[in-house]
Amino acid sequence: MLETPVFQAYCGEAPPRFANAAELECAKVLDFYGLPWQYEPRTFVLEEDAEGRTIEAFTPDFYLPEQDLYVEITMMKQSLVTRKNRKLRKLRDRYPDVNVKLFYKRDVARLAERFKLPIAS
Amino acid sequence: MYLAAEEIQARVRELGARIARDYEGREPLLVAALKSSIVFLSDLSRAIPILHAIDFIELAGFGADAALGGTSGIRLLKDLDSELEGRDVILVEDVVDTGLTLRFLCKTFELRRPRSLAAATLLDRPYRRLVDDLPVCYVGFVVPDELFAGYGFDVEEKHRNLPDLHVIREI
Repeated sequence: MLETPVFQAYCGEAPPRFANAAELECAKVLDFYGLPWQYEPRTFVLEEDAEGRTIEAFTPDFYLPEQDLYVEITMMKQSLVTRKNRKLRKLRDRYPDVNVKLFYKRDVARLAERFKLPIAS
Repeated sequence: MYLAAEEIQARVRELGARIARDYEGREPLLVAALKSSIVFLSDLSRAIPILHAIDFIELAGFGADAALGGTSGIRLLKDLDSELEGRDVILVEDVVDTGLTLRFLCKTFELRRPRSLAAATLLDRPYRRLVDDLPVCYVGFVVPDELFAGYGFDVEEKHRNLPDLHVIREI
């Protein structure tokens, strides 16, 4: 089970419940630098059926309100991120005013190296 | 080798000339964050043919406090010796990546009411930026997603003295 530190720059309502260690460590980095952040504050509907029921949605991991930027962290291998890239394209098509950035495993690994994060790459 | 010393020096000379033009008639203060940017700072300073001052700041790395719980904020290990109020300040960075460190420094320095605040960076990775509203006015090289050593960049405190910039796997 992941630890749940007391964050200083977290500006969401409910305490964040991270899906994995990479998300937790990225949250710690944002918090360390005092950059306000939220965790999964919004789910974007990507596709609905004829009755208006959601059949595909996307919930980016972080939202940085000062930057108006959503950030999605993925620890999948580069060869396996096709589905996530496709979702991101759909999100950008459907919500062109929404800024979203995908941090790939390699990006997270670079962060981990730079900040000496305990994330297995 | 990624960048030869001659290429770096040529680019630093260009940046120095630009800064001299932009700050003509003023006396900017160049501020470098220890340690990786000291080589760039010393070359850049010598490439700026107008009066200017230099100063240093040192930040506690993320890892040091993370061991204590990870949620304590960034803090200064060494503050500036100079007053910033009314000064033209140029932050000198080794690399701007996510922009988190530079954002912290800008926020900290803005409270001290400088006349102007700009940043010069040797290397830039704009594609990984999380913070965009930064005054990065002078960029040496936009670089790919590699780790570097030499020209001030270290591998466990080694290789900072190499005159060229190397991708780490080559060393």
